[in-house]
Amino acid sequence: MQFLLNAPRHLFFTGKGGVGKTSIACATAVQLADQGKRVLLVSTDPASNVGQVLMQTIGNQIVAIHSVPGLAALEIDPQGAAQQYRDRIVGPVRGVLPDKVVHDIEEQLSGACTTEIAAFDEFTQLLTNPALVRDFDHVVFDTAPTGHTIRLLQLPGAWSGFIEHNPEGASCLGPLAGLEKQRNQYHDAVAALADPARTRLVLVARAQRSSLAEAARTQAELAAIGFQRQHLVINGLMPETEGQIDPLAQALANREAAALAQLPPALAHLPTDRLSLKAGNLVGLSALRRLFAMDESMVTAPWIDATTPPLPKLVTLLDGLAADGHGLIMVMGKGGVGKTTLAAAIAVALAERGLPVHLTTSDPAAHLTDMVAGTLDNMTVSRIDPKAETERYRQEVLASKGRHLDEAGRAMLAEDLRSPCTEEIAVFQAFSRVIREAGRRFVVMDTAPTGHTLMLLDATGAYDKEIRRKMSGGGLHFTTPMMQLQDSRQTKVLIATLAETTPVLEAANLQADLRRAGIEPWAWVVNQSLAAAKPTSPLLQQRAANEHAQLAAVANQYAHRYAVVPLQAQEPVGLERLRQLTQP
Amino acid sequence: MPNIQIFDPALCCSSGVCGTDVDQALLTFAADLDWLKHQGGQVERFNLAQQPLAFAQQAAVKQFLERSGHEGLPLILVDGEIALAGRYPRRAELARWAGISTLAVQVQPAADSCSGPACC
Repeated sequence: MQFLLNAPRHLFFTGKGGVGKTSIACATAVQLADQGKRVLLVSTDPASNVGQVLMQTIGNQIVAIHSVPGLAALEIDPQGAAQQYRDRIVGPVRGVLPDKVVHDIEEQLSGACTTEIAAFDEFTQLLTNPALVRDFDHVVFDTAPTGHTIRLLQLPGAWSGFIEHNPEGASCLGPLAGLEKQRNQYHDAVAALADPARTRLVLVARAQRSSLAEAARTQAELAAIGFQRQHLVINGLMPETEGQIDPLAQALANREAAALAQLPPALAHLPTDRLSLKAGNLVGLSALRRLFAMDESMVTAPWIDATTPPLPKLVTLLDGLAADGHGLIMVMGKGGVGKTTLAAAIAVALAERGLPVHLTTSDPAAHLTDMVAGTLDNMTVSRIDPKAETERYRQEVLASKGRHLDEAGRAMLAEDLRSPCTEEIAVFQAFSRVIREAGRRFVVMDTAPTGHTLMLLDATGAYDKEIRRKMSGGGLHFTTPMMQLQDSRQTKVLIATLAETTPVLEAANLQADLRRAGIEPWAWVVNQSLAAAKPTSPLLQQRAANEHAQLAAVANQYAHRYAVVPLQAQEPVGLERLRQLTQP
Repeated sequence: MPNIQIFDPALCCSSGVCGTDVDQALLTFAADLDWLKHQGGQVERFNLAQQPLAFAQQAAVKQFLERSGHEGLPLILVDGEIALAGRYPRRAELARWAGISTLAVQVQPAADSCSGPACC
């Protein structure tokens, strides 16, 4: 493994949920410890299963792993860190200020940025506090999924500058005020991250076009903030032998080969390692120690397809979606679960029923126009470009609201408009323009990644309260975006996920967050399911069998109604292949 | 020099640009405060979401919250006494409290009634 050669002090693994970061990070930590190094393994994944993989309970304190001499581990729980931060701010006034006021403060501190900032704060200490990591030769980070990671890593750069220019701490980075004293720590953290002698970043991707494109974006964004020394691991490659048994396995192998042949140029330059697809979840030391062996697929027992329950197809959701003749359909979920594909397939199916449809996306990763290469008469396609929206919003605010301000006031406004919140707000505005159309036709959206989305919903929530306050007493008829999202007759939210542990857990967290905002998801869609694809290769059959626990959890525990979309032998691009996703 | 204290509702940022719509009143006020500081005025500003302890430690503010709730904010104290509540002061008012000559004060547009921007 090239990424293990001359490993520097800090190793980061980054990639979308489900690409295998946790397993690779664990295997790396075990391997380094086996070489006699003293290693600390840190998980900042909200769905951390490091404890499960190493078969020992780990918490938010560094603990020695008994079975591996030299290895210690730590889990940073972002939600827990945010709660601690809230308690630090709110604790002293609880019971002192009125309960309603305390509740309002807590709500303000429940946004996505509080969570990120609080988690980042803990993570910074590991990079900059020598006393904490003095006893280790390596610190291996199993980071949160890509979108989250980018923000997390972008923050120190943004903030060091931001704090400097806002000495009073009166900025859009609300929660920062409580953390401001640690600005030196943030500065040191940036320095540690950008120093190739101290830090190596390993991008983990699957050999799929979207996964590689996402890795290329991460590469570019992280390189831009100084993260120069990057490696690439392509995980889960189909072993050649399987293709000889199973046409699906062969088609997947061909898909992988095609994706790798078009490897984005930015990735082609990186030192690259390839790992083969393994049959099962990597739990236990012996499995971890064999992870880096290319030729072993670890098939344990043949799987007999006797108990597979019939899995509901995507087409079973269409009647319910089409019933009202118009409305907002939002496909939500983490990056990499195929939101854009699902949104496009649903839009095409509705349009082919003769219904008017507007398909739109705010996902920066979207290739929507590629996907709907054909045209349908009653379907329009559009894209919300976060960068363009942000710039337009900045200019609009400076031109309108900044007009009456003196020069110093304008400078201050311009500074606040450089804050990370601005993009969320700008995208939200574009989003609320589009959803107004849903009263006349279908608006099908694939939204941006979760943190993003929830920020937007937070914003809608506050907007809603504000309008309610202003209008109350006037008896006027009004509808806010939030009311539209909460009304199941106007809006149907589909939670998209994969039949794997981390993605299902992430989807469940997303659902919980939506419910906090009073939005009840209408259905779940499990995408790219092997169980639904009915493979014949033993390796794929065993992986399909591993999906059952997650499919059962979706069916029985999480979803009001659900559908399962089989893994496609060919990439679902273009009208013809999108139609196949909604075949009866 | 009299001490002016501003107790804001739970705001994400003092200029209000992170609301779903930019709040003109907050923007104007942020600029006015900046102006006042440059004139040598003494101003402190507290955000309910970030410094709730400051609200709890001032008897006048705590009592105000108990009576009027956080919806009654902002609250402005001058030397510890309530000077204004429910809206942000205009530049002329700030100048009068601070004892700064109002000749330097230009006429400001009336503040927009909208307040309470969203936090992110």
